[in-house]
Amino acid sequence: MKLSIVKAYVLKELSEIVRSRLIVMVYLMPTMVLVLFGYGIRMEVTGARTLIIDYDQSHYSRLLIEKFTHSKYFTVQKELRLESEALDAIHRAQSDVVVIIPESFEKRLLHGQKIQIGVFVDAAFPMRGSTIESYVKGVVLNAASAIQERRLDRDAHTIAINQRTLFNQAMRDEDAIVPGLIGLVLLIAPAILAALLIVKEKEKGTIFNFYASALSKAEFIAAKLIPVFFLHSINIFILFLWATYWFDVPFRGSFWLYWVASELYLVISLSIGMLISIVTRTQIVAVVLTVIVTIIPGFLYSGILMPISSMVGFSRYEAHIFPVMYYNHILYDVFLVGEGLASEKTQFYLFILAFYGLFLMGLGSLILKKELR
Amino acid sequence: MRVFWTVVARELVRFIRSWQLVLVVLYAFTMEVYIAGSGIELKPRNVAIGYVDESGGGLSQKLLHYFHEPEFLPPVAFNSQTALSQAVFDKEIVLGLIFDEDFEQDFRKNKHATLNVLLDATAASQAYTTLSYLSNIVLNFSDTAFSVELVTHKLFNENANNATFMALTELLSITTMLSVILTAVVFVKEKEDGTWDIMLLMPVNAKSIILAKSFSQVIIVMIGIVISVGFVVFGAFDTPIHGSFFAFLVLAFLYAFTGAGIGLFVAAIAKDVMQVAQLSVVIMLPLIFLSGAWTPIYAMHPWLQTLSLLSPLRYFIEGTESIFFRGTPVLELYPYFLGVFGVGSILYLIGFRKIGHLF
Amino acid sequence: MRLEVRDVSVFHKNRLGIAHANFEANEGEIIGFIGADGAGKSSLIHAIAGVIACQGEIVFDHHTYRSCKEAEPLKARIGLMPQGIGLVLYDLLTVDEHLRFFADIHDLRRDDAFEAYKMRLLQMAGLEKFKDRQAGKLSGGMMQKLSLICTLLHRPKLLVLDEPTTGVDPLSRIELWEILEEIRRSEGTICLISTAYMQEAAKMDKILLFDEQKIIAQGTSAELLKTVESLCYDPDTPCVEPCIRTLQTLYTLSPLEATSTQTPTLEALFFVNALRNGKTMPPIVLSDKKKSDFEGDVLMDAKGLTKRFGTFVANDNVDICLKKGEILGLLGANGAGKTTFIKMLLGLYPIDRGELRLLGKTIETPQDRQALKASIGYVSQHFALYNDMSVQENLLYFASMRGLSSETANERIKRYAQELGFENYLNALPPELPLGINQRFSLASALLHEPVILFLDEPTSGVDAIARAQFWELLKCLKEKWKIAILITTHYMSEAEFCDRVVLMRQGTKIADDTIEGFYAKHPKARNFEEIFLEYFR
Repeated sequence: MKLSIVKAYVLKELSEIVRSRLIVMVYLMPTMVLVLFGYGIRMEVTGARTLIIDYDQSHYSRLLIEKFTHSKYFTVQKELRLESEALDAIHRAQSDVVVIIPESFEKRLLHGQKIQIGVFVDAAFPMRGSTIESYVKGVVLNAASAIQERRLDRDAHTIAINQRTLFNQAMRDEDAIVPGLIGLVLLIAPAILAALLIVKEKEKGTIFNFYASALSKAEFIAAKLIPVFFLHSINIFILFLWATYWFDVPFRGSFWLYWVASELYLVISLSIGMLISIVTRTQIVAVVLTVIVTIIPGFLYSGILMPISSMVGFSRYEAHIFPVMYYNHILYDVFLVGEGLASEKTQFYLFILAFYGLFLMGLGSLILKKELR
Repeated sequence: MRVFWTVVARELVRFIRSWQLVLVVLYAFTMEVYIAGSGIELKPRNVAIGYVDESGGGLSQKLLHYFHEPEFLPPVAFNSQTALSQAVFDKEIVLGLIFDEDFEQDFRKNKHATLNVLLDATAASQAYTTLSYLSNIVLNFSDTAFSVELVTHKLFNENANNATFMALTELLSITTMLSVILTAVVFVKEKEDGTWDIMLLMPVNAKSIILAKSFSQVIIVMIGIVISVGFVVFGAFDTPIHGSFFAFLVLAFLYAFTGAGIGLFVAAIAKDVMQVAQLSVVIMLPLIFLSGAWTPIYAMHPWLQTLSLLSPLRYFIEGTESIFFRGTPVLELYPYFLGVFGVGSILYLIGFRKIGHLF
Repeated sequence: MRLEVRDVSVFHKNRLGIAHANFEANEGEIIGFIGADGAGKSSLIHAIAGVIACQGEIVFDHHTYRSCKEAEPLKARIGLMPQGIGLVLYDLLTVDEHLRFFADIHDLRRDDAFEAYKMRLLQMAGLEKFKDRQAGKLSGGMMQKLSLICTLLHRPKLLVLDEPTTGVDPLSRIELWEILEEIRRSEGTICLISTAYMQEAAKMDKILLFDEQKIIAQGTSAELLKTVESLCYDPDTPCVEPCIRTLQTLYTLSPLEATSTQTPTLEALFFVNALRNGKTMPPIVLSDKKKSDFEGDVLMDAKGLTKRFGTFVANDNVDICLKKGEILGLLGANGAGKTTFIKMLLGLYPIDRGELRLLGKTIETPQDRQALKASIGYVSQHFALYNDMSVQENLLYFASMRGLSSETANERIKRYAQELGFENYLNALPPELPLGINQRFSLASALLHEPVILFLDEPTSGVDAIARAQFWELLKCLKEKWKIAILITTHYMSEAEFCDRVVLMRQGTKIADDTIEGFYAKHPKARNFEEIFLEYFR
């Protein structure tokens, strides 16, 4: 490889990126996504808008309502009299849940009879619906057993849960989301930048310089990718700082592992962009294709929203095909778990990342054509 | 008007000629939507459970019975706590239960029995729901003599059919991305190729050209939406629709136009396709995110809530949910129409000014 | 060192590029490729440069190749400049950075000798003052020159230039030839050059004449000229046999008995060859104009127009007026501000200072222009066509934008296609076509709506001789029949002679403005307009 030639190309690419002000985007986009999403995505459903209809108006029913009022999961909007009014509010998407306490709530409770509490949940967003439902259940059961304990004045048969949440003791959303976001950002941003590098030259005609020069295909690819690689390598550190200092995500693993894995991952996302750039003929196809193969899978298969283990069918395969899953495993490990290379799985995933990078690069230089068509 | 239709026809022909683009757009509207709908579950499913049973008794096994499919995989027994925690570290097990020696005795003696739980909380959303499942199971178990029954009515999406919801969300995201990018590129390509100069010299109204170009891309997106809804949402997932399908189409049309307006705005700032790519991602991601598709708007930071008022996708998603699931009557949908229309109009005003000022 | 091309054929997908080409070139030879647009020159050039696979074999310096892979080891010694304006340039890099970049990718040591050579090239191209300007902001001619010096930079042993001088002013062309001469003498470089300037072709050691995907003749300029001797006559010579009559010359198939013989130029080869193939120039028939004419004599009057880009003054106080039925040639070196001036007239650049009247209307706001747009036609230097639509569709589209009915549009497209000679290409996409052909329908698109004023920015650059002759015939017809006013820029000095009046520009200012006769009167010794031009710019 003729280093001086590659260097010349690298310098050229760099100054083009700086002059076209793309450099701003290179650093703005990842940070923006991390901050915005880190702040914004909440997995925990809190403050579900709740309407309570209390037909009983008794001491115990108020006790139950109080439990709702004190729960952070619910924001009790109003206590209503009319069911139709409440349902109307749900229909207009102004409330999420309606709880109906039946007339004989206290009486039945005191007599140990079966009580039915009516709950209406807006399940348009199914997960939110189910979550709210189980929260309601929790509050009601909790209240009921407290009431019963008080009534019987003895301990009931209970099981307390001594929960040790590993890796994310406080169950902070930030801890759970931010590392995943790094995986997402480092997939999208470099890929989109790299996706246009070659197809742009094809469309403009400057690709002739490559066709007619002594530059080999590997050198050309290296020359195209190195500048973007370096620019985005800095993002690895910037994103790390945002995560640990701004979002206070703990960092329990080895920084070296984080760094090496991230660089490998960067090679992969750049290669994805490059491959797209090689196979497409126009820039617009390249852009749309990159957006589709990075943003959506990046989101869905990153494990931010759901663990891969819960996926079924085709998306389970797709998740395994995309590199995000492997990198995110390592990310969560270095941030929250800290096992590092001691875990065989991490070693294996690191190996997969390296293989993936090499494979894509090889494929790229294989299908890149150095001739007019 | 003839000019308008000529421009529209031309853009459509151009689109169809680029078979690569046609394929990619078709893929996005069909396969992507299908994959997202069929595979992605936001509820816990197949959660791997491991346990260590030192109590050696019936109670623990009874409890374990409650963890059944599809939410949970059959619990796996481990010999020691160390083995269990190693498995959690390796992410083979999400939920680890430890029944210690006194567990059953304590329970029988009316003392508080303690169940130790290890939970991998890296995937927070799953962790939350798994935890609340667990506590409900345990609470239910605690005193069977006492009975409160919840009668839950899941409104609008009775079976809490996740496929439908995910497919729709995905469709809306794709609509956003394509309407923005396709339109932005249509304008920027002209800038890049120098054909814009020629257009500027034509004795035609700048606004009608801008509108025609946006409209052509809106048509492409609308065709995509119809295909997607027809084949995937209705066809593959058999989604019921409670409201008016026509209202949905009108809303989608308005939204696609607004998306094109964003594209216009992007094209006004960007100089080449490279910048379009970067800018549209920077604009689209917050848009999709602020729409409430992933996080309920009321659970966001207050300032993000305010900001989300600017996201046309918010109105589109709420409107679509209302039409598909809530079956809201057409007349009551006006806030969504107004919202999408309002944001769109502002964008076009900016676009006209920015791109059309050269005329 | 020798180059041998043996029975080379090139296919673009299924389309034939060039068939069975054979020729040889010795060390230090300059070989010229001439021929009609689309005759296969570029295909052969691409094959020799090793950027497209071919059949047959090419031997350079004892190395045989026919595929790109086989040519790979030679690439360091080959310099290719592809056809098309600014094709190898990166818009955002400055002139100086381009030179450094090309030096680096060819692994040149940047020592004193290199710096001196670089300066020399820059001076030749007249770019030394624009070293820090980004390529995207250069004028078309300057881009062309920059591409050229970037190719010359590494002193390749085999130099392959595809229309390097298209859009380049006469001064720079002379300089270029000096450099080529020097390189070939000192390094023994073999140069293959395609060109549309026949004066240049005359300087080559050997000329290959291309027609319809074949090399139909080769030899020295003198040898080739001999074949057309006594076939060229003064244009007013009567003739009944098959012949082609242009503004300057009458070409025939067999000698006439007339006495008004002209000394043939290489251009004659094209015409005589066309005649041999049974082709003649279609007569130009202009239908009567339907639109009512503009009353008044002065169609365009610019007073003190000034344009600045930052500190750079592109146009300084330029006064030009254009009368009805007049062809005005705007001439000057590359970067003199001709394009800027036209763009100001069109409203593509805002006017910084000065007053402009178009068709009797003072232009102050963009609204003032709106009504005039229907009366103006424009062909830009970088002809702007939609690359993903066929020629026919492009033209129909523009016609429809102009509000023409489809019957009228189809009829006119058919007519121009015939007159400008691109009927065979109506269904092709612009990027597949040679520069010269693209240029022709850009012109057609500017004429579709029958404008009153035409602004033509180098409409004939890279166009072959026959098409140019036809084109000027058409312009003359338009002028005489429709009384159209035409402002045209060109680098063919011979074309200046067809203008009624010529304005010379240098560094953004007008330095001369006179009728052709006036110029000749002032420079009695000049034999042609090129000499007059050089007088002003030397």
